[in-house]
Amino acid sequence: MTLSTTDTTWYPVASSTDLPLRHVFHGQLLGRELAIWRADDGNVNVWENRCLHRGVRLSIGINEGGELKCQYHGWRYANRSAGCTYIPAHPADAPARRITNTTYPVVEAFGLVWSANNGAGEFAPFADAEAGDWFALRPVPVNAPADAVIEALEQFAFAPADDDFRAETVAERLPGLGIRMTARSVKGSSSAVFFVQPVDAGRSVIRGLLEGTPEDAIERLHDHNATLTALRDRLERAAARKPAPEPLTPSFEKVSVELSTMPEITIGSALTLRAVVKRKWATAAGITAFELAALDGNHLPTFQPGAHIDVHLPNGLSRQYSITNGPGELLSYTIGVKRDLASKGGSEALIDSVREGDVLAISEPRNNFPLRRDTIRTVLIAGGIGITPILSMARFLAKSNLPYELHYIVRSQDQIAFRDQIDALGANVTLHIGLPRAAIAETISKTLGAHSFAQHVYICGPGSLLETVRSTAADLGWPDEAVHYEYFRNDRVIDDSSAFEVELARSAMTLHIPSGKTILEVMREAGLQVSSSCEQGACGTCLTGVMEGTPDHQDVYLNASEKRANNCIMTCVSRSLTPRLVLDI
Amino acid sequence: MTIILYDFELSGNCYKLRLLMSILGVRYDIIPVDFYPGRQHKSDWFLKLNPLGQLPVLVDDGLVLRDSGAILAYLARKYDPSGLWFPTEPAQLSEVLQWHAFADDITATASAARLALGMFYDFDLPKVQAGAHRLFRLMDEHLWFGEREGRDWLCAAPHPTTADIACFPYVMLSEEGGISRMDYPAIRRWTDRVRRIPGFMVMSGIFPAGRAAAE
Repeated sequence: MTLSTTDTTWYPVASSTDLPLRHVFHGQLLGRELAIWRADDGNVNVWENRCLHRGVRLSIGINEGGELKCQYHGWRYANRSAGCTYIPAHPADAPARRITNTTYPVVEAFGLVWSANNGAGEFAPFADAEAGDWFALRPVPVNAPADAVIEALEQFAFAPADDDFRAETVAERLPGLGIRMTARSVKGSSSAVFFVQPVDAGRSVIRGLLEGTPEDAIERLHDHNATLTALRDRLERAAARKPAPEPLTPSFEKVSVELSTMPEITIGSALTLRAVVKRKWATAAGITAFELAALDGNHLPTFQPGAHIDVHLPNGLSRQYSITNGPGELLSYTIGVKRDLASKGGSEALIDSVREGDVLAISEPRNNFPLRRDTIRTVLIAGGIGITPILSMARFLAKSNLPYELHYIVRSQDQIAFRDQIDALGANVTLHIGLPRAAIAETISKTLGAHSFAQHVYICGPGSLLETVRSTAADLGWPDEAVHYEYFRNDRVIDDSSAFEVELARSAMTLHIPSGKTILEVMREAGLQVSSSCEQGACGTCLTGVMEGTPDHQDVYLNASEKRANNCIMTCVSRSLTPRLVLDI
Repeated sequence: MTIILYDFELSGNCYKLRLLMSILGVRYDIIPVDFYPGRQHKSDWFLKLNPLGQLPVLVDDGLVLRDSGAILAYLARKYDPSGLWFPTEPAQLSEVLQWHAFADDITATASAARLALGMFYDFDLPKVQAGAHRLFRLMDEHLWFGEREGRDWLCAAPHPTTADIACFPYVMLSEEGGISRMDYPAIRRWTDRVRRIPGFMVMSGIFPAGRAAAE
């Protein structure tokens, strides 16, 4: 039998007990090294043992519970998806979603962790596996080829217990380099299964499972370990007399140049997913929470703290909602929706007409509100429904034991959303309940204090709170780049009275923008495919580079210094101060 | 009263002492000895300190000490008021010393392989590598059964001892000698536990383990 690097058989690659929390196991299957780790939610990840960045083994990385951190340059990868969530060299940016490590299929069953090459079919347990109660033996690595090991196991004088040595043993081959041993004696019968994990051409691991948990477990483990070790020594002596087989040479996809240098800008994804409403509940007065899961039960795409999704509503509208989840929580996204009577009907449609079990179209997560993880102090300020991205940020910082404080401003006790999650954050949270409007600025001022190096504040909430924090922070000497916020909507009155020309440099097209029409609208009428989302200058989706001319910024997405730079524009609301504007599109 | 450690930054045996002194909060000064490529440990001035020409040497208030295992015992007896790091109860003491001897075997194999590959020492590489694997197999089996018997450390005591400090560095540095630890999952988990001892410090080639899960 020759091992093949493209074999898609399922093999055991670790014992369940090999994977305590916050550990990374170093494994190998068919020549391919694996980093295997259990997240705090119990999920087992089997990944290619190589950081996408510089190729360093992830098995020497740090299991942070929801993310795995590479030891070399600190790139973090999410539980389940292996998507990159943070790049320390670009602390203010959200990594591109396509930075995703290679994952392999995994099933944890009968005390073992099973994996296979990609393209493998469904995991099929060995015959009668599910009827039994299985007790994993100590795995025994052997420096011998898998076929020699399985042949030797077939002749193995197996005795389930030491007084069964007169038992008659029957060995039966199982698919996937397995053997079932059944020993029958006057006392009855007992059985065990042994699997050979083909590590490489000349290396294997024997993984055994006893049927039923023995009473004298430790003694039995010692006995079986001793007999398997003796078998190993025999196999290794025989293997040493033969020429060593050539190691397998699995092929690896090369890491692209862009991946190993700069993360790309994440703006503008049009991909839509279908998600089922798994749970819908009132999380606070006027706020309904929705838990959205993938239709096929698989994990959802990687998100970073601060990210949002577009939810396409039954009435044809689409709205942005922040993901509240903590690190590595990818089986569902939980969002909070506030009933907003003044809105165009987005929240009403969700709250009133969407029920548990309904299917919604959502976008992949996008992040316009990335969280730095290189700070001495992070102040998170949430007002009302603004808690949603802030909660996710707090949960990421808490998991990584980074210093932060969360200030949650609500009008009354019953408006505190996601109470369980808030309480779980403990003393890092300060609730400000029913603060009089006049006291807010003073509270913010006391909370922030004077700015010092590596302090950052993140604000999400109503426009008035945002303005208060921004002006208070500015008065206290906080620089623009230390004040982070995300607008839900643009409350400014848009002045669309101007008329001007727009030259599209890459499309070789000149368009006239009349008063009353946006650049975005005219571009679409001209047949261009341009992504947009909120269409009120708040979300950043339609961000476009400006090559010549001076934009008339009317959005709330760009900060003051970005606006002053005049090198980009939100085409959904902003216009031109010069007769001609040249866009990089 | 000062402690002076004659130290080579890349030496696992010197790191054993830095590690224990860091854990015990003992202050010390370092005198660097250029072991490679300068071979200062074979120079006349150093041979006067240690006629064996070996690192580390530790001088405490004029008392000159050699041999990393012996110095670990000295530091623990003198500077660990709890007495846990180097117990004196006969059975425990013997157990710790067995592992000190085991650590010397690891030095003779895993460290030798590292010197051969990294510092061009003339050792029989396949032989010392095979010797290290033989020791690691025994150690992994001991630690694997320890996990089932409620023993987290090399010795039976419910806390780490100098045995763990003595064996740790050249296990962690084994890959620099071409000795993979993939086949020793219980050793790999034990190295997580050692790296989580309060006061733990790193050296080149030995990375932190990150925090344990909250209890």
